[in-house]
Amino acid sequence: MRKIVHIAVREFLSTVLTRGFIIGVLVTPLMIAVMIILMPLLMNEQAPRIEGEIAVIDPSGEVHQGLADYLKPEAIAERRGALKEFASEQMQKMPGGAANEALAEPTLNALLGEVPNLDIVQRPADFDLESEKRLLTEEGPTEDRRLALIVVHEDAVQRQDGEENFGSYDFFVREKLDDRIVDEVRSGLRHAIVDARIRTTDLDRDYIEALTQVPRVRSTTVTEEGEKETNEVVNMLLPAGFMILLLVSVLTGGQYLLTTTIEEKSSRVVEVLLSAVSPMQLMTGKILGQMGVGLVILALYAGMGIVGLVSFALLGLVDLALLIYLLIFYVIAYFVLASMMAAIGAAVTEMREAQTLMTPVMVTLMIPWLLWLPITRNPNSIFATVTSFIPPINTFVMLLRMTSTSPPPTWQVWLCIAIGLISVWGALWFAAKVFRVGLLMFGKPPNFATLIKWVKMA
Amino acid sequence: MNDAIRLNGVTKTFGTKVAVNNLDLSIPMGALWGFIGPNGAGKTTTIRMIMSILFPDKGEIQVLGKASALEAKDRIGYLPEERGVYKKMKVGAFLKYMESLKRGSGKGSRRHVRQWLERVGLEDVEHKKCEELSKGMQQKVQFICAVIHEPELLILDEPFSGLDPINMLLLRELVLEQSRRGATIIFSTHVMSQAEQLCDHVVMIHDGDKVLDESLDGIRRRFDPRTILFEPLDNEADVSSLDELPWVEKVSRSEREFAISLVPDTDPGEAIRQVAAAVPTSRIELHRPTLEDVFVRIVTQSGDPSANELSQLRAGLREDAGREVSS
Repeated sequence: MRKIVHIAVREFLSTVLTRGFIIGVLVTPLMIAVMIILMPLLMNEQAPRIEGEIAVIDPSGEVHQGLADYLKPEAIAERRGALKEFASEQMQKMPGGAANEALAEPTLNALLGEVPNLDIVQRPADFDLESEKRLLTEEGPTEDRRLALIVVHEDAVQRQDGEENFGSYDFFVREKLDDRIVDEVRSGLRHAIVDARIRTTDLDRDYIEALTQVPRVRSTTVTEEGEKETNEVVNMLLPAGFMILLLVSVLTGGQYLLTTTIEEKSSRVVEVLLSAVSPMQLMTGKILGQMGVGLVILALYAGMGIVGLVSFALLGLVDLALLIYLLIFYVIAYFVLASMMAAIGAAVTEMREAQTLMTPVMVTLMIPWLLWLPITRNPNSIFATVTSFIPPINTFVMLLRMTSTSPPPTWQVWLCIAIGLISVWGALWFAAKVFRVGLLMFGKPPNFATLIKWVKMA
Repeated sequence: MNDAIRLNGVTKTFGTKVAVNNLDLSIPMGALWGFIGPNGAGKTTTIRMIMSILFPDKGEIQVLGKASALEAKDRIGYLPEERGVYKKMKVGAFLKYMESLKRGSGKGSRRHVRQWLERVGLEDVEHKKCEELSKGMQQKVQFICAVIHEPELLILDEPFSGLDPINMLLLRELVLEQSRRGATIIFSTHVMSQAEQLCDHVVMIHDGDKVLDESLDGIRRRFDPRTILFEPLDNEADVSSLDELPWVEKVSRSEREFAISLVPDTDPGEAIRQVAAAVPTSRIELHRPTLEDVFVRIVTQSGDPSANELSQLRAGLREDAGREVSS
C-alpha cells in the first residue's frame, strides 16, 4: 500500500509541477479572472464629450424644431435615465437581481458615453448643397465644427399627390463621426418627421403609440411545487456547465496518465519499476496520482464557477448535493477512462501509435456532447433514461438529467452509480491484464484483437 | 530453504517459439552464479519469470522461500537488461524514489543516495536531471537502484554492456562486494569471458534448454585440456615429425601457431616435454578451454557446423555482439 502511495505522489507531483500544467491549467482561469476585473475598468474610460453643429435644411419647416428638441442635452439625458431604469428593471427580473443592476449601471454609462452637446442650425431652403457639404470636411474649433448635414425631402411630411409613400431625408456626416451620434440623430429625425406627419393629419400621437404597444411577457413554468418564472438560458447552461466540468477534469487526468505511461514504457524505466512493485501496484498508483490531478482541475474550475455564481447571487440555482454527486460521478467516470488510458499507454510504445486505439475512446466521450440538447430538453424521455444506464457515458447523461429542470427519481441515480461501479471494476480488470502484458511488449503496435488476446493470456 | 531460487520444470512459450524449455534450477544462498548463453537463448525471459514480471506456462518457481517474487520483492535487487530512468527527474530524487519503492516501509534516504553516488564517482550529479547523464553514468545510477536497499538476492541482467573498461572494473568490484556482504548474486551475460572472471558457478542455456549447470572448477576439470599450442622458433621449421607421435590426434596450423590435439588420457606434461624436444619453440602452452570453447563444444556436439557457423556462434559470445533490442 505504501508503494502505491509513493507512486501516486510521484505521479501527481511530476504532472502538476511541470511548466505545461501550470500554464495550461492555472494560467487560463487566472487570465479570465483578470479580464473580469479589468473589463469594467477599461469600459469606465469614457469617450470625450462630443460637441458641434448639425445643419438641417428643412423645406417644410416642420421637422427641424422637433429634431432640436429631441437632441437637447437635457432631453438626451432624460431618455438615458429612462433607459437605465428600464435596464435595471429587466436586470432585477433576471437571476442575480441586485448584483446585475450594480454591474449594469457602469456598463450602460460606458456604452452611451457622455451626453453630447449638439447645436442644431437651420439652413435656408435656397441652399448650395456643395458648399454646405464642404463644411463637413473643414476643421475648426470643436464646438463650431459641423458634424452632420441633413436635407429633408420636400415630401417627407406631406405626401405628394398620387404617391403611396412619404419622402425621407438625405444624411451627410463628417468622417469618423461617433456612431452613437449618428444613431441619436437618426432616431431624432424619425421622431420629428413622424411627429410632423401626425400633426398635419390631426391625429393623436399618444393614442397611436398606445395602439401599437404589446409588452413582451416572460413565460412561467408550472410545476408540481408551484409556478416559477422560466429561465431558459440558465436551464440550458447549467447542465452543460456541469458536464463540461466533468468531461474536462476526467479527460485531463486520463490524458496525462496516457502520456506518463507511454513515457515510462518508451524510456524503459518500467522494468526498473517492476523490479520494485507489481504491475497492479504500478497501475493503481498511477491511476490514483492522476485522479489527484483531475481533482485539482475539478476543484479549481468548480470553485471558480461557485465564486462566479456567488458574485451574481445565483448560488441558489445549484443544489449542494449536486456537487457531491459530481464528485461521485467524477470518480466513476475517471476510473473507467483512466483504465482505458492505462491499458492503451501500456500497449503502445509511442504516442503516435496510441492514436488509433484512442479514437474509439474519444468518439465515446463525444457522445455526451451530442446528447446535451436532446437530454436537457427532455430529461426524462426513454432515450435519456436508457442512456443514463449505459457505461461509460452513463455518468455524463445522468449529470445532465440531474441538473436539468426535472431531475430523475433518486433510484435511477443510484442505479446509475451502481452500474458505474460495476463498469469501474470491469474496466480495471481489463486494464490490469493489458497493462501487465503490454508493458514489456515492444514492436508492432497492437490492435484491439491483440488486446483481447493479451487479456486471455494474462 | 537453503536455495535462494528454485525452478521446477519451468516452460514459457511466445506464440510458437519456446523461449524456455522445462528448466530446472536451484541456486543456493550466498552464491555468485553466472547465467550465460548467446542472445536470444532465454536468459532474460527466465529472469523475468523469476521476478514474476512474466509468468511461466508450466512449472514452479520459488524465490527466497516464497512462491512468488512478488512476496519477496523488497529483498530482491534487479538490474534489468531493458533499463531506463525518468528523463526529467533529478538523479537524487530518482534514487530516493526507487529506494522508497524498494524498501516498502519507510522512505528513501538522501544519505544513502549520497553515499552511493560517491562510491561510483558521481557525487556531483545529484541535482542533475537524469537525461543529462551519459549512458555509462545512467548505468551506474541504475546499478545503485538495484543495490541501494541492500537486497538478499541480486539479479543483474547484462550489467556491463556499454561500459568502458574502467567502469567495468569498478562495477565488478561493487558486485564482488555485494557478494562478500552475503548477497546471492545471479549475473546474466552473453559475454562468456565476463562470467568466467566473476562467477564460481555457471548455468548455460541455449535455445531455451539448459546445457550446462556446473561450477567453473568442475567445468575445467571435465573439459580437460587436450590441446597444446606452440610457436616454433623458426617459422620454416619442419613439424612433420610430430604427426608420428602416438598421442597426437591431429596437428593444425593457423599463421605462426600450431595446435596439437591430444589423444584422450594423454599426460599433458609429458606431451609438452616431447614437443619441445622435437621442435625448438618460442612459446608452448597447455590450452585451457574457455567457457566459450566449452559452449561451442556443447552446442556443436550433435551437428557438424561449418566454419562460418562456428565463427558466428563465437562472435555472439563476445562483448561487441549486438544487444537483443537496441535501446
